[in-house]
Amino acid sequence: MLIFSVFKTLTDQRVTVELKNDLSITGTLKSVDQFLNIRLDGIKVLDEQRYPHMMAVKNCFIRGSVVRYVQLPAEHVDTQLLEDATRREAANQTKR
Amino acid sequence: MSSLQGYVDRPVLLVLQDGRAIVGTMAGFDQKSNVVLSDSKERVYSADEGVEEIPLGLYLVKGDQIVLIGELDEEKDRSVDLSTIRADPIPPIHY
Amino acid sequence: MDATAAPGIQEPFDLIRLSLSERVFVKLRGDRELTGVLHAYDGHMNLILSDVEETILIVDGGEGGKTNGTVNLAKRKMAMLFVRGDGVILVRTSYDLLDAIDLCRRQKIVQKCAKLC
Repeated sequence: MLIFSVFKTLTDQRVTVELKNDLSITGTLKSVDQFLNIRLDGIKVLDEQRYPHMMAVKNCFIRGSVVRYVQLPAEHVDTQLLEDATRREAANQTKR
Repeated sequence: MSSLQGYVDRPVLLVLQDGRAIVGTMAGFDQKSNVVLSDSKERVYSADEGVEEIPLGLYLVKGDQIVLIGELDEEKDRSVDLSTIRADPIPPIHY
Repeated sequence: MDATAAPGIQEPFDLIRLSLSERVFVKLRGDRELTGVLHAYDGHMNLILSDVEETILIVDGGEGGKTNGTVNLAKRKMAMLFVRGDGVILVRTSYDLLDAIDLCRRQKIVQKCAKLC
């Protein structure tokens, strides 16, 4: 739930999603759901020479389970807030 | 659900776990991201030949086989001469 | 509960919790390793790290066998990274943290012995 919330705060920011098939796609984060499925707008595939397959794709839905990394805009991530929220969530987990 | 609603009736490209690329019109989907494509074709990429299109017709793709669904810019897609494209297939997903 | 346990350390995730805002080492599937400062995690071991350096081990040649393939390292840096938990094999906390926990545990044992004597 925590990570889902983090992604929600990053909507409309540019992110780079690296998939488990080594494809990297940069785009504007339009939405995310609880499975961490991601919708990107205005996409650009890294290394278009090698991956011309998505040339005509303007926006896409990426299945959360195939994501390896998401590179986030560091200036839009409040690390202190993240750590506090993580501790809070961890505390809730052990209470249960 | 980061909804697929916006893709219904639109031309889309599906990339599957095994690296296949399928284009078609999104006819429908459900909450497991199972997808029905109408008038679909597989695009077979190869490094030493142009792209071959294999007609598949009405196609149901299971959600867990899907890597991504992209909305195609029809004009841009039409402007590409697939016979001139040389590229290896998209690599399969390995966990 | 284990009486010798350091305060707040009862389960594996506690070790990760104590590593928040510390530099950690992460081993991933696909011959990848990361180091970075940990800012968030969840029960799936999804992670958010900053100041990340990734190292990928690339074995050239020796296709599908134990023939003498050369190992190359590819490195790159990323400012802020979300790592999906299903790729995580292990998270190693800093040695300082482990030392601190170890020291804490030893002190407890010493205290316990002192009481018994």
